[in-house]
Amino acid sequence: MSANTEVKDALDGVRAAAQELHGAISDAAAKRGGAMKTDLEAVSHKAKAITVSVKGSIGAQHDAAKKHLEEAVAHLEATQKHAAAGVKSSGHSLQNSINQVLADARASVQQISEAIAARRSAKSTHTRK
Amino acid sequence: MRNYVAVVFDDRSKAYEGLHALWQLDNAGDVTVHGTAVVHRDDWGHFQVDTKETHPALATAIGVGIGALLGALAGPAGATVGAAGGAAIGAATGGVVGVAADLSRSDTRGQAAIETRFVLGHGQSAVIADVSEDWTTPIDTRMHALGGTVYRRAMSDLQDDAWFDAYDPSPYLYPYEHIPSSYPLW
Repeated sequence: MSANTEVKDALDGVRAAAQELHGAISDAAAKRGGAMKTDLEAVSHKAKAITVSVKGSIGAQHDAAKKHLEEAVAHLEATQKHAAAGVKSSGHSLQNSINQVLADARASVQQISEAIAARRSAKSTHTRK
Repeated sequence: MRNYVAVVFDDRSKAYEGLHALWQLDNAGDVTVHGTAVVHRDDWGHFQVDTKETHPALATAIGVGIGALLGALAGPAGATVGAAGGAAIGAATGGVVGVAADLSRSDTRGQAAIETRFVLGHGQSAVIADVSEDWTTPIDTRMHALGGTVYRRAMSDLQDDAWFDAYDPSPYLYPYEHIPSSYPLW
């Protein structure tokens, strides 16, 4: 396996995990009370694991992709924070938390996708030279 | 280049084939897809965005954001009209036709304006996407093969439009391929 393939797999892997996280949160948003809180608790753990994976893949990227991945980390940490807050809240506060968690998770996937786009574009430019 | 794309199809099953093809292009590395949504317009002219079940306030935001984008893709003058009409775009949860959180806010003037200006005709469906693409050929070729018509505007152009800050549609596009279970295609 080449170094390029390893980098591609690592980034694609974290994007798939972040996409799955967003899917789980949007499913949780349709639930109520205790069921939603149980899901939020799991979301917090998943977000933490993805954060570790993203941090682990930053070093192998070029500058443009690194910047997006660092922002993704910030959004994933916010996802954890808001999910943890949601577990302890109820009513409107819980609803606000889940909306925030959804927005944070969405932003993290966005940043990882942008890192992938930056990497693909750089590779494409390099190939054309 | 970062672009917003709308691909219009004559029926909803083709739109979901288009959605799947778009994510396949991403998987192959030909483009990078940041988010997608599928919008339908029924024979009576009502719009629906297929979403999962979400909070009603979010459903309203989805309608306005996607409506503004649809209008903007029709041309610069369409964005404001699209945003106004966006309140009449319902979020059809789980693809259940007729469930539209915001249809009670439907406004005849806004509907009529969209009808005359926007590209999505009665009975048609569209895939809306936020993509990074180095060239337009992969999407154009694949979508034309499926019978789709592609509309495209650069994100940088749209960000210059006055409506964009208020109605940025990006947060309402799914960052992965979401096909409601009521649309089994394969």
